[in-house]
Amino acid sequence: MEKENLTMREMDIPLGPDRSKLLGSRAAEVDIIEGDHMILNMGPQHPSTHGVLRFELLTDGEVVVKITPHIGYLHRCFEKIAESIPYNQVIPYTDRLDYLASMNNNLGFALAVEKIMGIEVNERVQTIRVIMAELNRIASHLVSFGTYALDTGAFTPFLYAFRERERIVDLFEDVCGARLLYNYIWIGGLSHDLPPGWVEKCRDFCDYFLPNIDEYNNLYSFNQIFIDRSADIGVMTAKQAIAYGATGPNVRGSGLAWDLRKTEPYSGYENYDFDVCIGTGEKGTVGDCWDRYMVRIREMEQSTRIIRQALDRLPEGDVKEAIPKNFRKIPEGEVYMRTEAPRGELGYYVVSDGKQIPYRVKCRSNCFTSLSAIPEIGVGAMIADIVSILGSIDIVLGEVDR
Amino acid sequence: MRTALKENYFKQIWKGISTTLIGMSVTIGHLFKPSVTLQYPHERWPMPEGARLRIQMDFDECTGCGACARACPVDAIIIEVLKAQAGVDLGETSNGTKKRLHVLKFDVDNAKCIYCGLCIPPCPTGAIHFDLDYEAMKLTRKELIYHFSIMTSDEVETLREADREAKAKAAAAKAQAAAEKAKAAESAPKKPNQSDSSS
Repeated sequence: MEKENLTMREMDIPLGPDRSKLLGSRAAEVDIIEGDHMILNMGPQHPSTHGVLRFELLTDGEVVVKITPHIGYLHRCFEKIAESIPYNQVIPYTDRLDYLASMNNNLGFALAVEKIMGIEVNERVQTIRVIMAELNRIASHLVSFGTYALDTGAFTPFLYAFRERERIVDLFEDVCGARLLYNYIWIGGLSHDLPPGWVEKCRDFCDYFLPNIDEYNNLYSFNQIFIDRSADIGVMTAKQAIAYGATGPNVRGSGLAWDLRKTEPYSGYENYDFDVCIGTGEKGTVGDCWDRYMVRIREMEQSTRIIRQALDRLPEGDVKEAIPKNFRKIPEGEVYMRTEAPRGELGYYVVSDGKQIPYRVKCRSNCFTSLSAIPEIGVGAMIADIVSILGSIDIVLGEVDR
Repeated sequence: MRTALKENYFKQIWKGISTTLIGMSVTIGHLFKPSVTLQYPHERWPMPEGARLRIQMDFDECTGCGACARACPVDAIIIEVLKAQAGVDLGETSNGTKKRLHVLKFDVDNAKCIYCGLCIPPCPTGAIHFDLDYEAMKLTRKELIYHFSIMTSDEVETLREADREAKAKAAAAKAQAAAEKAKAAESAPKKPNQSDSSS
């Protein structure tokens, strides 16, 4: 009891000039509401925390004064496990980081090890990798769209999103046999070549998918109730986004055109024609929840564009020609490879000491950095808005905790 | 935002209702389209050819080399082998690889298996493949361990016994040879120092 009182006193933000600094832009609103602060635990079993995440909210009435995220409920020692198994066996473990975008995780790690080993993959492998990464980006953004709708109180868009995601997952299943954890992009190549007829199936999907984006917009994006729940809420300025290391749609939602596919192209992304979508603040302020949400919707369109270009140029070749027979002769060295995963910059720092197993693997998680911005951008919002902010940040706890 | 709400109170209400109606028109349109759901126990999704489900193996094809067990990141495959006695012919696999090992145990723990498919490519005879059966639920974890070895425990015991005997025989022969060697060395010492240290 005494300890609780002490923490309450510590967290109690004093009146004075510091108050507005600590409370951010909505200090005045907080000032109006007088009363004792109360600690509210949100999670770890809360339906809108996207997994097992606990927020310790210090609330002043309905207004949140301080947010403390508690993570680690899903920690599985990915980095330590990677130090004990050969390089090619790490790939199935990378699947489980951001389990909604396994292809992108595989790609990042494969590119990192290829950089160490000096492997050059052929054009076909690169093109198929781009197709897979973009398909998975669409699938991931669809889940993000669906769950954000769930968080803000609409159930139907979730079903629409999963209807399309199902088709993407079927495409993946045809290629590699798995529906969620693909283990498809291997070091130096791919586990399987495309089955016959797959390219046509993928084209059909693109034709089918593009009109559905308008359906989502009619159904949800421009719904006034949703706009009221998301516009002008959880504003993350570009400065804040950079300070917290937020990447991907979160930083692009803040109006900054930062996309690693454009700025540091990998796997042949420089050959594709696509736009970087940024938040424009058309419904509220630049960098609010609606902007972050809309960036994802627009990115799905751009991903479809990339897939169509990739399918048109798909060259012939052997997808397994550069896969090393064994991992006994790895050059010593260290490498940092970053890729644009659906949720932002996914980086792998791999240190090799010449042995069969990596000496050290560090994963730079994009969800973790985005999550760390919530204590700043969420202060001053209502409790219900925290749910909306968290949904718009779009985290996957499997990657936050690793 | 709040002030804006006050100013355009009725406009906001109208906007809320009209945009909701647009959304509802989308959902109503779907009432007249074919359903996309599958009534699972009655209808079944056909598995594609390369689906990664439960591991299956042809025991006749297995040479006991253990390449799959080494490739497994989670150690779900447990193999125990015994070297065949000299003169015992274990036959060949379908692609002509000679079998030299008795495979006493070939267990796949499906509770550990992560279905990554890394065990398939290293197999020299193509013995491991995936089953297309996806309803592999069991009540206990023990039932999830699949035993693929066709050897009975009696057979394993006899093989082990024979191996132990052979090993004992070999050890005895070795000891005898060593003793003979020592005897020979004793009877004809080359240097006196050496014989001192050995005694």
